[in-house]
Amino acid sequence: MLLNVYLKSLRDSKKSIIYYSIGTMVLGLYVTLFYPTIRDSTGLTDFLEQLPEAMLAFIGDADTYTTPEGFLNAEVFGFMGPMIFGVFAIIAGAGTIAGEEESHSLDQLLANPVSRKNVLLQKAAALLTGLFVLSIALWIGIIGGSKIAGFGLSLIGTTQAIFSLYVLGGTLGLIALSVGASTGKKSLAGGLTASVGIIGFLLDTFLSVVEALDPLRFISVFYYFNHNDVIINGINPVHCFTLVAVVAIVLIVAVWRFEARDLRN
Amino acid sequence: MSNNAPISSKNLTKFYGKHRGISGVNLEINEGEVFGLLGPNGAGKTTCIRIFLDFIRPTSGSAKVLGMDSRSESLEIRRNTGYLPGDFITYEKLTAEELLQYFANLRGGHLSKARVLAERFDLDLSRKIGELSRGNRQKVGLIQAFMSDPKLLILDEPTTGLDPLLQQEFHALVLEEAASGKTLFVSSHVLPEVEIICDRVGIIREGSIVAVEEVATLRKQTVTKIAIEFEEAVSKADFEKIAGVSEVAIKDHHLTCNVTGSLDSLIKLAAKYTVVNLQSGHPALEEVFLTFYNQSDETAKTAD
Repeated sequence: MLLNVYLKSLRDSKKSIIYYSIGTMVLGLYVTLFYPTIRDSTGLTDFLEQLPEAMLAFIGDADTYTTPEGFLNAEVFGFMGPMIFGVFAIIAGAGTIAGEEESHSLDQLLANPVSRKNVLLQKAAALLTGLFVLSIALWIGIIGGSKIAGFGLSLIGTTQAIFSLYVLGGTLGLIALSVGASTGKKSLAGGLTASVGIIGFLLDTFLSVVEALDPLRFISVFYYFNHNDVIINGINPVHCFTLVAVVAIVLIVAVWRFEARDLRN
Repeated sequence: MSNNAPISSKNLTKFYGKHRGISGVNLEINEGEVFGLLGPNGAGKTTCIRIFLDFIRPTSGSAKVLGMDSRSESLEIRRNTGYLPGDFITYEKLTAEELLQYFANLRGGHLSKARVLAERFDLDLSRKIGELSRGNRQKVGLIQAFMSDPKLLILDEPTTGLDPLLQQEFHALVLEEAASGKTLFVSSHVLPEVEIICDRVGIIREGSIVAVEEVATLRKQTVTKIAIEFEEAVSKADFEKIAGVSEVAIKDHHLTCNVTGSLDSLIKLAAKYTVVNLQSGHPALEEVFLTFYNQSDETAKTAD
């Protein structure tokens, strides 16, 4: 695990990857095992339809809430999933370069013959690998749970939704990594990216019912992540590609800034 | 700038915003020598070193290390350079062996020399870096700097805070490595260390190199403080007559004076009396500077 920067970074986040993966798997299991009680409860759809629009923006579609996909869309992909993936990715991203710089170990790493660009890309790859493990764990939890609870679930829809969640996590994590690499400031990287996530979430949910703010949802990462209700309607390639493109641009800027600036002592 | 000098810099200048780091530093280190960069804290020693290793970029001017540009060819420079800062900070959760293995992997090397050095410095490689004492942590730093047998070693105040015994061992290693043909660039804020290990020394103050001297020359010009306690009264005038002796003061059989260069004449005169006690103090760095300012710039003294 000490062959290169990529493996060393994975080794550093091994524990956190394991704990978060247990978390995502438990989330998948819990929601799917809980689902039959929702399905069998009568009158829930009627109740949901009476909720104010802002609440429904958060919960999801009243018509589909009692279907397996609709329920998962609300309970896993509406809030908990993005939160777990987002927190993991932002902490990992902000800590990996800016964190090393603030703890003064970056100088010594870069005294070795390894370029800054190389360090950044290997650390980015490690972050994406960690998120991938979380995604697999979530997939196992959901699919496993649905088998145990004995209801049918769209395999393709679930996989696509988890992939979209993976892309969202990657976006937030790599933004945090990039801000950290560009500035050397861990708390700035974490804070700024958390704002991107939280404001994005609000714009795509509660605030979307405010008509004046509605156009702003196009700057929300959540809009591109799941506005399409991926588990029900399938992935929207344009939305997914938008996030990937944003990340690519952010990474290019980060490599440029990281290569150009002075390291903090 | 000569092409084959291990380190050469031309008008190297670095400002941190409005704050001066270094300005107009011209240095040329010869192959195979141990060069000391001597100066008080904040004079710009670390700034020079961080530019050589491409951690920071010069505001103007340029530096070549091992004949290569410090910016565009940094990777190749670092492949052939070992670096040890005064406070070796690294991954605390790794054991010393894991850390050395990691750095050896990044350099495409192995641990054979590291193990020899660990044995020599009596370092237990199985302990975590975070659990090591400062001295032992610095040993790990020393081993990682030397283990790949680099052509050039850049050591930034390498012995700060180490106990005297370890300092001695460290100096011995530096001298051995130098004897095997390596070039060493060592920064320090203490003169005795520089005197022991360096061939030449550059004195840096407030970001500028104020003198570059052979250590032998420097030693001749440095002032040593001597205090001698005699059993009987001694003649002040006799001591004042000795060449190189100044600021003679006598109080209750206690003589204090400053000696420039060799102590020989003073000792021979003192030996005519019964000496109870003799103490010599290393000169303060500031006094060494003043010696140089007095030679190169008479106004420097008043500016102080």
